[in-house]
Amino acid sequence: MNYNKETTLQNLIKSKATWTNGQGPLSDVVVSSRIRLARNIDNISFTSRADQKELESSFKIIQKIINENSIFNDFNILLLDKLSPLESQFLMEKNIISSYFVKEKYPFRSCMFNKEETLSIMVNEEDHIRIQSLDSGLQLKKIWKLISRVDDEIEKKLTYAFNEQEGYLTSCPTNVGTGMRASVMLHLPALVMENRMKEILKAIYKIGYVVRGFYGEGSKAMGNLFQISNQITLGLSEEEIIESLIRLCKKIIVQEKNERKKLLSDGKDKFEDRAWRAYGLLHNVRIISSMEAMELLSKLRLGVELEMIPNIKLNQLNQLMLMIQPAYLQIMYKETADQINRDIKRATLIRSKISIE
Amino acid sequence: MLCQICKKKEATIILYRTINGKKTEIHICEDCAALFTNKLSALALPQFNLNDLLIGLLSAIDFYGTEEDVFITKELKCHNCNLTYEEFRQSGKLGCSKCYNYFREKLKPLFLKLHGNDQHTGKIPHRKKGKLVQIKKVAQLKKELKEAVLKEEYEKAAKIRDRIIKHERATNQEDEL
Repeated sequence: MNYNKETTLQNLIKSKATWTNGQGPLSDVVVSSRIRLARNIDNISFTSRADQKELESSFKIIQKIINENSIFNDFNILLLDKLSPLESQFLMEKNIISSYFVKEKYPFRSCMFNKEETLSIMVNEEDHIRIQSLDSGLQLKKIWKLISRVDDEIEKKLTYAFNEQEGYLTSCPTNVGTGMRASVMLHLPALVMENRMKEILKAIYKIGYVVRGFYGEGSKAMGNLFQISNQITLGLSEEEIIESLIRLCKKIIVQEKNERKKLLSDGKDKFEDRAWRAYGLLHNVRIISSMEAMELLSKLRLGVELEMIPNIKLNQLNQLMLMIQPAYLQIMYKETADQINRDIKRATLIRSKISIE
Repeated sequence: MLCQICKKKEATIILYRTINGKKTEIHICEDCAALFTNKLSALALPQFNLNDLLIGLLSAIDFYGTEEDVFITKELKCHNCNLTYEEFRQSGKLGCSKCYNYFREKLKPLFLKLHGNDQHTGKIPHRKKGKLVQIKKVAQLKKELKEAVLKEEYEKAAKIRDRIIKHERATNQEDEL
């Protein structure tokens, strides 16, 4: 395991997480899939009630497991107390840690993650252990296989808080049972354009799923990106939850594709114009907020997804979506900047990345 | 007047309930009312937060309890980590794995509201697998024993009884390990 904070952060600035590669199944609508498992160690109070000593011991137990098991060989570790607020925010924007982990400053918080950024483990989050796996496109089954194996490896060396009635016991009863949250990030510009989202969101809530924005719970929907995940964690098996989430997503994908087709048949020129205008703006901006950038990137993305714009790939757009976030920008340019300076830097970055030549 | 559950929005709905002949009323807003009917009235995407939903549900469930229940609830606490039910109701977070045992009766209606179920059917940790299989086996054997006795097949019943003892011993041994 790599303990060097500086090199780890340096690598993260340049690294391209696997989930951003834009090559997974149905990637013309699905950006990424994610599963996280909530686990606690038996006989240690849950994080919010644990004392310093207990938090230290949960940290040490996990650290030892990760250190000694060869499947975690290429893992990096970062201690949250050793990071500046900006650096923690950067990790959140890279989707390695949760916003809760940044906000709730329990002692002995740490995160460990692999080079591909497909796997990360948070220690002393709301639960002692949060395991997360991310990949590109709709690949929940593949992710479940991987994350379940990691879960097994960890369990070899410790006893989880579990009972036969309520399953895996979590700090919050909204996670109890499987402790699993599976989610899929969808790009739904046509449904938004045609004002269909309200009705679709209502239907999704009604059948026990939740919709969140780009950065999970409490985050705003930006760039027409919607993260759909299960709310129910008790009474269904992991496979059942995944199966039904996939079914739901496929239904939404069909609707999105139908709307795209309709819009195209109504006027291909209008559609192309929309994408190319976005390209023109992004290629020439001098000052831009992250919100506006996300909106324009969504328009451009739709053009790329429909193969109207040559030489721009989905992976470039995915990576750019991350880099234009406030903390990522400041870390990348190695200086803290106020909003206007961030907007200028963001524009410079986008101009350098968005070009068909 | 403000909603008596969330204390944030204007109350537009009055709920009545009669407990032991005594009529009580509660003034609540549309959003909290939606929790009762399990429907989300508005598109709450930017603000949607599971923990808030949970705390709202906890208030709603308590409202439906009797006054006696409320009294018992005030006294309720986990004897392992000393978290009181009242503290849990406010934060929405449990203190330790034993809280699930001490608060089980109160948590049950919450699980049913949140998950529509209160029995885990998913993955089982390897360490618990053996024990769970044994428990299920014993339950099955006890059923067979009952049937055998009812049919007055005493010889068969004795054999089943011996098998139950054997399985229970195995489970207890595992517990001691």
